[in-house]
Amino acid sequence: GQEFQFGFCHVQGVKLQVLRKAFGTLRDTVQAQDNTTSVRLLRKEILQNISDAESCYFIRALLKFYLKAVFRNYYRQASELRLRRALSTLTNNFLALASALQPREEDKVFSLAESARRRFLQVQGAFQQLDVEAALIKAIGEVDILLTWMEKYYQ
Amino acid sequence: MKNVLHWDPPEGLTGVEVLYTVQYFIYGQKKWLDKPECRKSNRTYCDLSAETSDYEHQYYARVKASRKATCSKWTETGRFYPYLETQIGPPAVALTAGEKSISVVLTASEKWRRTLEEGAVSMQQVYPALVYNVSMYSPQSHRMWWQCVANGSLVVPWLEPDTLYCVRVEALVPGPPRLPLPSEKQCISTLKDQTQEWKIK
Repeated sequence: GQEFQFGFCHVQGVKLQVLRKAFGTLRDTVQAQDNTTSVRLLRKEILQNISDAESCYFIRALLKFYLKAVFRNYYRQASELRLRRALSTLTNNFLALASALQPREEDKVFSLAESARRRFLQVQGAFQQLDVEAALIKAIGEVDILLTWMEKYYQ
Repeated sequence: MKNVLHWDPPEGLTGVEVLYTVQYFIYGQKKWLDKPECRKSNRTYCDLSAETSDYEHQYYARVKASRKATCSKWTETGRFYPYLETQIGPPAVALTAGEKSISVVLTASEKWRRTLEEGAVSMQQVYPALVYNVSMYSPQSHRMWWQCVANGSLVVPWLEPDTLYCVRVEALVPGPPRLPLPSEKQCISTLKDQTQEWKIK
């Protein structure tokens, strides 16, 4: 796996190519179902200019969001579309990554966490404005944007 | 990052004068945008490099055919993500021979730009994790070397003097696998062994 440094959060064993491959399996099907193309959750402005120190808080929030609000609620559709295995691969790797990304007590800085939270709330807000099914499809269809942003923190 | 949309003529209309109109859409924005140079055109391709030059955005394109007064429906592409889907051109390769070594200096290809006035952007800037896969081959001994280098230079030591070696280089970037675009094969001979020369005299 690869090593990533999200600010003061260091994480090893990230299998980005495994995640890319799993997403590649889902991509065409899921993105083709996304009819609200005028909405982008992980907007470029949200992902830009995130300080290194803030990045750990932000990636943790996103991973939790994908695990709890997205992947968990898409298994029925994934099974119907024979995409369950790919979704499980994403889920397991996100889970491993989220648990590995624990900022140490001494590194916790309220202002950074707050800034990351405000960014994340923009993503969550756009997600919640959509119909449930459309929101799930859109969030999953944007995993490539998330992986590409994560790759910038590759060591 | 030259991005050109290609399509096939409608079935059964080959050789018939058909005109095509192209539009593109930036994912997350509101409306389809025209590409004037590709309105009512008889070409079956449209260069959307300028329109898709912001590689952190994602795009759709669509094309429709028209003949006399009739028009087809739009045909739409999937979501296109230049940052992950563009093919990376090979670097410029400069070889310098020593007696028992060859020095390889690599210069990353540049991002496509509209005009020369636009500042050049190296692919190294677009992809900070860009690495080069250097392969060297000796036609005489049929030996082959591979090496991945992150910075733009490499010296291959312990070679035979006065021997021809050929080099090919490919740029690799993170993301899903892409079709490789290796450089042209370049060959160079190592210098003659000077010590041998003196003995002979």
